[in-house]
Amino acid sequence: MTTNAPPSEATVQAFADMSAALTGFQSSFIRPFLDPVNLSGTFYEFAVAQVGQSMMDALMSAFATLSSQSPPISPQQIADSLLEVTSATPSNQAQLCQAIVSMWYLGSWYPPPFQTDGLQQVISSQAYTKSLVWNLAQAHPMGFSPFTFGYWSQAPASLETFGVNTGNGGGQ
Amino acid sequence: MKKIVTIIVLTLVAVTMIVMSAIPTTMATDNKPAIVLKSQIPGDAQFGPLPPNATNEQKLLAIQGDFDIYSWNTFIALNWPPGPDGNGDPNKTIGQYGDNDTVWEHYRDVSDIFLAGGKKPSWNGPVTVPTQCKASYKPGMRILSQVGKTPTVLTDFSQPFNTGPLIDQNGNYTRYEILVNKPMFDYILQNTLYSKAGQKVFSGTVKFPCGVLNGAEGAIMVKSSWKVISAADKNRFHTQTVLVYSPASQNPKYPASCSTKLMGLVGLHIGHKTNSGAQWLWSTFEHVDNAPTEADVANKKFKSQYNYYNPKCSGQNCTPNVVPPRPWNPTKVSTFHSQVVRMNMFKGNEFAFESAAARNSDALKLLLGVNQNSVWQNYELISTMWPTNTGQCMATPGDPLGTPAPNFLANTTLETYIQGMVPNVSSNCIECHNNATMTTPVPSDFTYILQRAQ
Repeated sequence: MTTNAPPSEATVQAFADMSAALTGFQSSFIRPFLDPVNLSGTFYEFAVAQVGQSMMDALMSAFATLSSQSPPISPQQIADSLLEVTSATPSNQAQLCQAIVSMWYLGSWYPPPFQTDGLQQVISSQAYTKSLVWNLAQAHPMGFSPFTFGYWSQAPASLETFGVNTGNGGGQ
Repeated sequence: MKKIVTIIVLTLVAVTMIVMSAIPTTMATDNKPAIVLKSQIPGDAQFGPLPPNATNEQKLLAIQGDFDIYSWNTFIALNWPPGPDGNGDPNKTIGQYGDNDTVWEHYRDVSDIFLAGGKKPSWNGPVTVPTQCKASYKPGMRILSQVGKTPTVLTDFSQPFNTGPLIDQNGNYTRYEILVNKPMFDYILQNTLYSKAGQKVFSGTVKFPCGVLNGAEGAIMVKSSWKVISAADKNRFHTQTVLVYSPASQNPKYPASCSTKLMGLVGLHIGHKTNSGAQWLWSTFEHVDNAPTEADVANKKFKSQYNYYNPKCSGQNCTPNVVPPRPWNPTKVSTFHSQVVRMNMFKGNEFAFESAAARNSDALKLLLGVNQNSVWQNYELISTMWPTNTGQCMATPGDPLGTPAPNFLANTTLETYIQGMVPNVSSNCIECHNNATMTTPVPSDFTYILQRAQ
């Protein structure tokens, strides 16, 4: 990891907004108003350390362009574009997007194919316990549960309360 | 004669003004919350405005500050001298005579709530006095028996997760007690949760009352930790002469015993269920001489002595935060002395450290303004744990823990061996207490004490 100054609030928020579009979760869930865990900041810095600042800047720039289009396009359309879902040979930037999606869903870094020296790794204990796959499953990771005893006997709360964007742009 | 009277009157006025200005009652500015010398227990935290265009860190720092102010106001009110009804006496002041009796020490001890045979308790009922203590017991005297904070009989001898007891630098075991306030006691009583039989027929959801800002206090649990002190150290601690009871043990084998000891308060952990804290607000205070921080140890920046750390330790048993070797016998002076270090659990949550330091400084000024010899100047707030995502007196569905801030928090006298930053293993008040149930497999709203029902 580099020891550069932490990213600005605007940068982390932009990364969170892009992550929300890519994952199908609500932006306010990815980056809550009060965020003592700060996974957005952790993941941004981790990804930059893996692929370099310039590549991340280019991706963020592409997201900024897509999200400021007029008329506006949906988060789903932004994600489809960034992930190049119609391409059989996605670009390095699209591969980075896939790695970011995996990072959020699984709390781990799965090196994109172009990162030949990358290591698969769990990013942090908080990244593990708060990875989105558990929210999508309305469940919890092994070894950590936020629920009280006997929760399994009741129907889970709705997907929306777990942060999933079930409206336009979610569910990919 | 008239001239002499005038001089006397003017002198009295001048002295009164000097005394008054030396006792500031508030540090309030604008409408922001402030630490105040008041006997009223805050029903909830009060929030000031957030700085414009604040970053995440700045917002957390500001709101942590509001919760830490709430914690200090709670500490002050709970340690206020009580009147005849047990509530803080507004005509007295905390620490005005150095030390004082306190409000929370008149709360009900859990051992007097969960009685043998599931008998119905009462708020002002008799205190349970063990046989071995009866000869020394005098009305109003407190009895400390726990050697750990965990409120189950089987694990009375250790801290959470049965990790072990805490032994001070003189070889004496630290003692603990858990007390609850009247609203919490009343809820237990009204719902017959004081007995196993009552819990078995209870069909609802355990839901203790929430405190309301500028209104009634909610359910409050106070956990305190005490060490044996000498008379010479009395002016640095809040002290009580109490009966220290050790129940009989089979392994190691020793009989029940009871002795009168002068004990000094070393830790105070306050859990309060409020509208802004459905997961409860957790304020933890410690004596300032308990232990050095990780940074102090790294920089060899030590005080001359600590309650639980020897700066000159050499040879074996100097590894910090190690559980005392068995056998554990609290009736004897141990040759093992706990070597405790406060670990930095605020990495990534530095706002918690910054906020507590600022609030501690503010509180110290107020307490010293009352009396330069106040024992309360020797206590510091470690932090307040609060939920960042919660509803009014109820958890947000999908996030029952409410994403606590800071992420981890420990009191070195109560959670000595589980300091750290590993989810579900290291000390996190809300995460841990969320697992609590009654004697039936029913969640007990963030308290383990209901497991004591007989």
